[in-house]
Amino acid sequence: MSRDKESQRDLSKADLDDLQQRIDARREKYKPAAENAHTSAWSLGMRYGSEFFGGVLVGGGLGFGLDYIAGISPWGLIVGTMFGFAAGTLNVVRAAKEISSGSNGG
Amino acid sequence: MADTNPIKQFEIHELVPFEAFGLNLAFTNSSLFMFLTAAVTIVLFTLAMSSRALVPNRAQSVAEIIYGFVADMLRSTAGPDALRFFPFVFTLFIFILMANMLGMFPYFPGPGLHSFTITSHLIVTVALAMLVWLTVIVYGVFKNGPKFLKLFVPSGVPGYILPFVSLIEVISFISRPISHSVRLFANMLAGHILLKVFAGFIVMLGAGLGVGGYVLGIAPFAMTLGLTALEFLVAFLQAYVFAILTCIYLSDALHPGH
Repeated sequence: MSRDKESQRDLSKADLDDLQQRIDARREKYKPAAENAHTSAWSLGMRYGSEFFGGVLVGGGLGFGLDYIAGISPWGLIVGTMFGFAAGTLNVVRAAKEISSGSNGG
Repeated sequence: MADTNPIKQFEIHELVPFEAFGLNLAFTNSSLFMFLTAAVTIVLFTLAMSSRALVPNRAQSVAEIIYGFVADMLRSTAGPDALRFFPFVFTLFIFILMANMLGMFPYFPGPGLHSFTITSHLIVTVALAMLVWLTVIVYGVFKNGPKFLKLFVPSGVPGYILPFVSLIEVISFISRPISHSVRLFANMLAGHILLKVFAGFIVMLGAGLGVGGYVLGIAPFAMTLGLTALEFLVAFLQAYVFAILTCIYLSDALHPGH
């Protein structure tokens, strides 16, 4: 962004590229080893926990609602909770994928 | 002995009682902190950007870095066409960040004398998460029409288990606002309770053992100091996580069944 503005001055493009390369190298060198190593265990657990909890809660809730409407208690709740477990597991697997791909610190 | 109840910080106090249609719509300390969050953000950004210099000073640099940070996050997770959601994501991010940071003040000259973290109340985070979730549904259906339902039909699944997989996908989709909101809420709640429990130990030791207790109190004080630093990190990290998950969900609305 600011590089475009800078290039209007007497710095040549090659100079700027060279500077950018050196800056990038420095950044790489001084990058914090693990930016959130300290919180990651805590918030990672919270992340997985809430993902799984959400799935089970919604599955069980939908099953319970079905029971209430269709009057087939307790089958809706039982089957719904099972599907909820499956959805929760799916959520956790997705969260793990996101985290291991590095797009999200948890 | 001073009040060492670690839950007291989450109390709601009515500042301006107001009732309409049988509902209690009082202006509470929670409302005040939401108002402060918005006001402080606006004032800080206005001050930071007021010079509009080509070569930014420190404050303007910070504002520009935050801007660039959110724009990059949105572009890298949801694609360049997601930038139309930039104001939404930026507002969410900055609102949660500022709310978390304001909650880090240990003292506030108001009723109860305690500061208030609005994101430590589930109702606030649920409202924010529902906003994202409904935006995804409304915009997804508006932009993709029936194709939005592709989100629930993963490709390459054999026909005979497709109904089950779709059902699981639907449940997973509905559970999003729950995990989205619970994570922010639980992190803020747990962190602040932990902080106040350790701070309470200092007072308890002092009240129980006198001067010797205050000497021993150095240990929990050191812990409180460390936890405060940690909480600042959590305050930022949770705002970041909330924003990046918003980006991921918005990317589903833009490109379902990718």
